[in-house]
This record gives sequence, structure tokens and C-alpha cells, in this order.
Amino acid sequence: MENLFVNMASGMRSLLASAGLPDAATNFVLMFLKLGAILVYILISALWLVYMERKVSAYMQCRIGPNRVGPLGLLQTTADIGKLISKEFIIPRCADKKLFLLGPILIFMPPLAVFAVAPFGKDMVAIDMNIGVYYFLAVASLSTVIVWMAGWASNNKYSLIGGMRVVAQMVSYEMPLILSIVGVIILTGTLNMSEIIRAQEDVWFIFLQPLGFLIYLIAGVAETNRAPFDLVEGESEIICGPFTEYSGMGFAMFFLAEYANVVLVSVMAVTLFFGGWHAPLGLTFIPSWIWFLLKVYGMIFLFMWFRWTYPRIRVDQLMEFGWKVLVPLSIANIFVTGIGKYLYQTIRW
Amino acid sequence: MAKGLIKGLGITLKHFFKPKVTVQYPEQRLPLPDRFYGKPEFYYDKCIACNMCVNACPNRVIKLETETVDKKKVVTKYDFDQQYCLFCGLCEEACPKDAIKFSKDFELTRYNRPDIKIEFVQPDQVERKKEEIKKAAAAKAAAEAAKAKEQEEQKPADAGEEGS
Repeated sequence: MENLFVNMASGMRSLLASAGLPDAATNFVLMFLKLGAILVYILISALWLVYMERKVSAYMQCRIGPNRVGPLGLLQTTADIGKLISKEFIIPRCADKKLFLLGPILIFMPPLAVFAVAPFGKDMVAIDMNIGVYYFLAVASLSTVIVWMAGWASNNKYSLIGGMRVVAQMVSYEMPLILSIVGVIILTGTLNMSEIIRAQEDVWFIFLQPLGFLIYLIAGVAETNRAPFDLVEGESEIICGPFTEYSGMGFAMFFLAEYANVVLVSVMAVTLFFGGWHAPLGLTFIPSWIWFLLKVYGMIFLFMWFRWTYPRIRVDQLMEFGWKVLVPLSIANIFVTGIGKYLYQTIRW
Repeated sequence: MAKGLIKGLGITLKHFFKPKVTVQYPEQRLPLPDRFYGKPEFYYDKCIACNMCVNACPNRVIKLETETVDKKKVVTKYDFDQQYCLFCGLCEEACPKDAIKFSKDFELTRYNRPDIKIEFVQPDQVERKKEEIKKAAAAKAAAEAAKAKEQEEQKPADAGEEGS
């Protein structure tokens, strides 16, 4: 079980090698398969998360939630996607047609590209990049541009306001998000995600960087546009934000990409603060990739828990909180971490 | 501030594990109160066509038409235009014979507007009633005729006795 996927990959490699393919072609095919597997994982995960979100919200409101379509309502999202595919994709007359169509096509690319460096288990990372964290943050923030583009192209006031809010919110909260991660990077001295996980063998970084984790958590919720930071698509204010004009599958793509982003932020949190695929309390009989996924969905539950507990905050509160509270705190965190590391190195416990 | 945030999380988590209040409607139903006014029911045989319900209705929902057969009123039409009914139960209260009653059936939605109107009286019911009345009248007439004949038969007998 532990090496299930690793063995599958090596088996595929030897099979291709025995078929007489050159090394480069083998690598290419294997990489293609890995990324395909990640794509399938993201899509299934997004479907599952919509269901999970509805169930969690229902349970928190003393309801049952979807339970009619399939066993326990598990096929509800599948049915919803089927419905959305069959619906008409309406392009508003005054919209910028090319950009409008490009939005839902591009929106899935940043999450997909980022997952290439996500370590799903021991030796289970598609591309072991030595600047993994940097790549992760750089590509993940690209989705801002795409959402803004969709909002602009819709030629609709709500879309435009939503798009502008996306830019404002994302840019302001990317700062504390990145600065909170710097503490972890100071401790490990590497940007490689697998290395960071290996460094947490003895103690998870949440215990060394509690403030960093808290800032990351808050900024992460803001980055994924979820309540209490869901100003971008606050239904009661601006209909659906940048996605107002999208119908059918275009809307579904944005919707699913949002959940892919939630997975993304959770994967990052688990990698940086919860020891990645390391089993807690020596429970190593459960495979590392199961541990990783368990932690990721635990994090996602936390996000859902936040969403169904807190009301939306105001725009000015959002900005004030980001720049006046989170940024100074994260800089202080870096400062304290640096001093701590320096002292640790000079004293050499 | 942080204290309030954590308290809020505690409340939602507590509700997460609470028993759920949902009633799975078509399969499970909550018991209805005794005085519930649902779909009306009409008992054709009890109705005496007194028009009390028609007069009692504030919305003029009920249309009652009668036909007189052999000096007796026969209800030929009792239409209940339910879309205007406010379920006040005044018709039920007014009826001296309990011919109209409200049941507990509340699933009254229909696909088409004409289907909302309930036409209680079936033509065969009217026919049967008319037949019954005619039969009863005929029987009565026969009985009367028999009686008259008896009396007539008795009369000459009396006269004969008187004569002797």
C-alpha cells in the first residue's frame, strides 16, 4: 500500500523501457501520465468538495443535505455538472467575446500547474522542483489575473466590481501569505517542498511557527475567496462577482476551480505546517499518501467550518485587517524566527 | 475578538453533531393538528341543497345548482373553485347535514389551472338520485293508489251493508 503509486510508476517505466522506447520518450510519457492522474484527482476532488461543502453546511444548520441522488446523495454534484453541461452558454452582446470565453478555459490552469510540485506522499511528487514553494506561490497568484479578466470581459458592473475586489483582496493578502511562509523557509533553509516535509520528521512546524500558521490560515481563506472574506462574490452585494455573466459550463469551471484552489491552499498548509505525509504518533502502518490526504481534507473541513460560522466582513475592514494587522504580524514573525534561529545556531543545543 | 470567533466555531461544531431536524417529506410526515383544513370533501347523499354553504362562503367559492324532480331538489352541480378558497371552514360550519367536510389532505397543487376546480357531483350520481326519487315517488303513488283502491273497495261494501 505504502508504495502503491510509486510501484505503479516504476512498473510503467520498466514496461516502456522494455518496449524499446528511448529514455526521453519514457520520461515524457510518464510525466504525461502523472499530470493526467493529478488532473483526475483535482476534478474528482472538486466534485467531492462541492458535495462535502453542502453536507458540512447542512449539518451545521441542523439539516441533512443532499441525500437523494445516489447513495447518501453522493452523485448530486455529478448530476449538477451534467445539468450545467447541458445548459446554454450565453455570451452577453456587449461582452468582449474572446476574453469572455478565455476566462473559464484558463481558470483551471494555475491550480493544475501548481499541483505538479505538490508532494502527495513519500516520493510521490510529479516534479521535485528545488524552488517548489516559490513556484507554488508564483503560479497560484496567476488566477487573480484570470478572474479579473473574466470580470472585465463580462462588461457588467457587478462583474467589474467583483473583479476589482479580486485584485485588491488577492494582492493585499498575498503579502501576509508569503511573509508567513518565510518563517518556515528560514527554519528549513530550502524552497523544495519535499525537503520541507522531511525537515518536519520530528516536530511539525505548526508547533514552531504557530503565529505563522495562523496568518497563513487567515490569508489562505482570503486567497480562496471564501467567507468571511468572500467579498469577491458576495451574493447579497454583487450577485456572483466576476462570474455573474457566466452560465452553464463556464460557471461550472469557475466553481470547480474555486474548490481546486481550496485544495491547493490546504495542500500548502499541510506541507508547510502539518508535516506533509509524515504519520503522527508513529502510526506508520497507514500509507503516507493516505495521511497526506487525510490532513488535506481536515484542513478543508476547517475552511468550511469557518465559512459556515462567520459573516462576511466589509471591504474597508478587509483592507485594514490585511495591511495593518496581518502584514506587521508576519514581519514580526519573520524577525522573531530569524533571531530564534540565530540564537539556536550560536548556542548549538 | 478572538474569544468571540472561537465561541462561534464552538457553536457551529456543536450543531454539527446535533440530531438533525429534517423531515424527509414525502416519506415522513409530521402529524397534522385535529382542526386542520385541507382539501374539502362533499357527501352527495347527505346534501339537501339548502344553499347554506353557498351563502356562508365569503369568497363565493361554491357553485350549487339544483333541479327539481317531482317537487324534490336534486343537486346537479356542486363546484368548489379551490383557488379562491381561504380554508375558513365557514361552509362546513353552516352545513346542517355535515355534507361538506375538510379533510387533512394538503397536497393540492395541480399542473393546470382548470384542474384546481373540484367538481364534486358526477352525472351518474345525479341520475341515480333522480331514479331514486322517481322510484320513491312511484312507490308512493302506487301505495297511495293501493290505499285509495282499498278505501274504494271498502266504500261499496259499507254502502251494501247500509243498504241491507
